Amino acid sequence: MTGGYITGGWPYVIAAYSWTALVLTAYAVSLFVRLRKSR
Amino acid sequence: MLANPRFPKLPYALMTLGVVCLLIGSYLGLFVAPPEHYMGEVQRIMYVHVPTAWNWMLAVLFTFGAAIAYLFTSDFKWDARVEAGLEVGALLGFLLCCQGAIWAKPTWGVWWDWDPRLTSTAVLLCSFAGILALRRFVDEPTKRAVLSSVATIIASVDLPIVYFSVRWWNSLHQMQSSPATVSSQFHLPLRLNAFGILFLMSGFIALRARIASQRLSSELAPPPQELVGELA
Repeated sequence: MTGGYITGGWPYVIAAYSWTALVLTAYAVSLFVRLRKSR
Repeated sequence: MLANPRFPKLPYALMTLGVVCLLIGSYLGLFVAPPEHYMGEVQRIMYVHVPTAWNWMLAVLFTFGAAIAYLFTSDFKWDARVEAGLEVGALLGFLLCCQGAIWAKPTWGVWWDWDPRLTSTAVLLCSFAGILALRRFVDEPTKRAVLSSVATIIASVDLPIVYFSVRWWNSLHQMQSSPATVSSQFHLPLRLNAFGILFLMSGFIALRARIASQRLSSELAPPPQELVGELA
């Protein structure tokens, strides 16, 4: 941080979006697998 | 009846719509919206963190409503919805805490702080995870449904504490924003992602409730006649 302005935040942004996409995708896949098994 | 959905394709349509909204909203948030004056690029995390928080609260409210509906009606379709709401609520709560930690490191200098907002959120997340674990230890469907509905109602008391914690106590976490306090350039990606996660969450809950209904149907079905004959 310089002078109250946060610099170089892109790695955090990429981490947040990637983790969100990964968690939501993994959950969707787990739902499809469990739904198929339950039939 | 339990495992026979009226709109079998609806969860898939909702999830597809959710993914489309999220893709457009995230593109706008990452590449079109300008960086915030003080937080710079880190502020772009807001376009996923805030919609996740809103929808997590909605998931908790939905689960609370389903628990009350089960206790009033004793209809197992509400128990299936409680189970679905608990799991999706726990998922969104976990995601929310992770996104918050990634935001907190560059802005507060720490990944986590035992601040009232974060602590009350963690308590609710752990409560939902605990109720899900409790459901696995109770085999009798009626007892399981009553216990988890009562526990869900008690756990949901934490939701207003989470919401008002930033007003009631000194908190590192910022106060709730409104369209009046957020620049209009940030509105569209925020709203698109909010609807995206809402559609995705609704699809998740519908599919998860379907899985729970199918399991409940087999648990509640009478034993086969051959087995009844053998036992007699």
